[in-house]
Amino acid sequence: MLMRRRALLAALALAGVHAAVADPMVDYTLFCMGCHGAQARGVPGKVPPLAGALSRFMRTPQGRDYVLRVPGAANSALSDAQLTAVLNWLAERDAGAGAAPVAPFTVAEVTAARRTPLASVQETRRAVISALAAGGGAAPALDY
Amino acid sequence: MRASALMFTALVYLVAGVPVRAAPPPLQAEQLSVQKLPPPNPHWIYVFDEAFFNEIDARIHLFDGDTYQRLGQIDAGFSPGVNLSPDGATTVVATTYFSRGSRGTRTDVVEFTDNRTLRVTHEIVLPAKRAETVPSLFNVAYSADGHFVYAAYITPAASFGVLDPEHGTVLGEIDTAGCQLVIPSGPNRVSSLCESGRLLTVTLDAQGHEAGRAMSAQFFDTDHDPVFAQGIKSASGYLFVSFLGEVHEVDLSDGQPRFAAPWSLVSPAERGVWRPGGVQLGALQRALGRLYVPMHKGGEGSHKEGGSEIWVFDAGSHRRLARWPVAPLGLAPIVAVQVSQDEAPVLFAATSAADVAVLDARSGRLRHVEKHLGQTPWMMLN
Amino acid sequence: MRSLDRMFEQSSRTLAQRTSRRSLLGALGQLLTGAALLPLLPLARGGRAEAATAQPDVNNPQSCDYWRYCAIDGFLCACCGGSTTSCPPGTVPSPITWIGTCHNPADDRHYMVSYNDCCGKTSCGHCDCNRNEREKPTYRPSRNNDLNWCLANGDDSNYHCSVSVILGVVPPGS
Repeated sequence: MLMRRRALLAALALAGVHAAVADPMVDYTLFCMGCHGAQARGVPGKVPPLAGALSRFMRTPQGRDYVLRVPGAANSALSDAQLTAVLNWLAERDAGAGAAPVAPFTVAEVTAARRTPLASVQETRRAVISALAAGGGAAPALDY
Repeated sequence: MRASALMFTALVYLVAGVPVRAAPPPLQAEQLSVQKLPPPNPHWIYVFDEAFFNEIDARIHLFDGDTYQRLGQIDAGFSPGVNLSPDGATTVVATTYFSRGSRGTRTDVVEFTDNRTLRVTHEIVLPAKRAETVPSLFNVAYSADGHFVYAAYITPAASFGVLDPEHGTVLGEIDTAGCQLVIPSGPNRVSSLCESGRLLTVTLDAQGHEAGRAMSAQFFDTDHDPVFAQGIKSASGYLFVSFLGEVHEVDLSDGQPRFAAPWSLVSPAERGVWRPGGVQLGALQRALGRLYVPMHKGGEGSHKEGGSEIWVFDAGSHRRLARWPVAPLGLAPIVAVQVSQDEAPVLFAATSAADVAVLDARSGRLRHVEKHLGQTPWMMLN
Repeated sequence: MRSLDRMFEQSSRTLAQRTSRRSLLGALGQLLTGAALLPLLPLARGGRAEAATAQPDVNNPQSCDYWRYCAIDGFLCACCGGSTTSCPPGTVPSPITWIGTCHNPADDRHYMVSYNDCCGKTSCGHCDCNRNEREKPTYRPSRNNDLNWCLANGDDSNYHCSVSVILGVVPPGS
């Protein structure tokens, strides 16, 4: 984790972004935790989980695109750099033991995708999860 | 003989309890009836009472701004959205009931009340997703032609229900991807306010299903000067007032929202010092072009404080015409304003002490204070 | 468990080393379970005893002026049989909420405060308090106190009162 964080900060510096981003745990608390919960499990039927889901979405370009365009991410008050840091911080904790680590988001990737929020979130979520499941490997649960 | 006969007669009358002078006839037996409302007049006002201290028991009080009579009541359940039909004939209430009053199975409904009889005529059961938030014109709303009713949902994901009021059915639900509330914005069009400072506009087909959607340009900055969600009805759309007193006029008469250049309620010296505030924080008298806004002195975080003054603007020239301090009128801070749209307009102002004042909308002269018109009157409709 | 403010003041990477697999967010998962009683900040304990000071109510959990109520909207659970960190008996905490920040004048720090609602009973009706520091309209739900945050509780979504639970310190500069 120490190496990862240094690499992340270095990448951000290279991207020309002010590297003194806020602590991702603080950002998660202030901007995401209210609905997604202290354990990122969401609320059944109401708020989707991030635990057991985020890193799985991140395995494909379609899934990564979805994650960056859901209202909570696309419309969030977090800057691109902060959002990148929070998602990567979450993904790191979500990756399953023994599974290949998912490539972290880059700020450029986040910046590009979140400018066009999704029109139809539920529909897109179902389509993305179906595609992930069909493609083999772990997919997030369809229902929550 | 005659004297004694007279005395005897008087004695008989006395004993019989009949006064010597002729008595008025006794009161007639009465018949219990149900009061019929008088013909509506433009100075009627529907005062929405959140009844926050007994929040499952919200009401709407119908009040006559000419006779100062309370005409009747419409019940409204828990944390409802309320509105009137475009023709004024119906009050629509989107609310929640629990099967045991304060607990038990939750049911969300939209109820329709005939404003001639104040009886609920029918209801539509909704999925239990209704937005339970501050009163606004956009929690539940009719389309301009009365064909659809829209009910805002927050679960916390945002969407809205499209209802057929005539047939009493839910036609469907539209996912608004985080944008909130239901602003009727044209034939078969509904707009929602987005965190990004934009309006999402969804176009529906005749069956109430989505036919298309478009995102407007950004017209306000949520981070630095957000607009109050409670818009003010104008001739062509709505005015949205920001925390710092910028007025954003949105014209919805065309296919897509058009935004006029914002104008300011405050001078540079007043900016950040005097601010709009309250729950229903503005009313526009459309024929006169007069905008009434409760204003208070305060800093960041004071946006829900009631106004210590009502400021009056010419909405065309943007000039401030008057400042009406309310304390000299014996009024507590103003949390809601509404104005009648007739030629002799009256301004209604609800206070944080639950009084509703009736003022002459041109001169500001106080005509009447109705004490405690509800427990927490926070929005007024006409 | 280490006190929360100290935990948040440490760098997140140190915390990450202690994060267990079972709980995605480790110590964060302990928050708001209702099981752990969060320690009161030292100066807040003596709220009533400080009535003689210049701003007595800033430290009084039953006063609307209490520093951590800087963006609360509703009835104070501390007046309704609960406390700033506990729902009154028989009510149900809202699993969703919004989280604001308030400045504690006692130690000049900004704290993250969770404004959960307690649900399933009708309005407490006592100690009504509405403050709105850094609050935003409903279209920014992560900063809004107008919403009935009991809304996701299904049958237990009647609103009773609001708490204000400290989650930790906001690091300077963020």
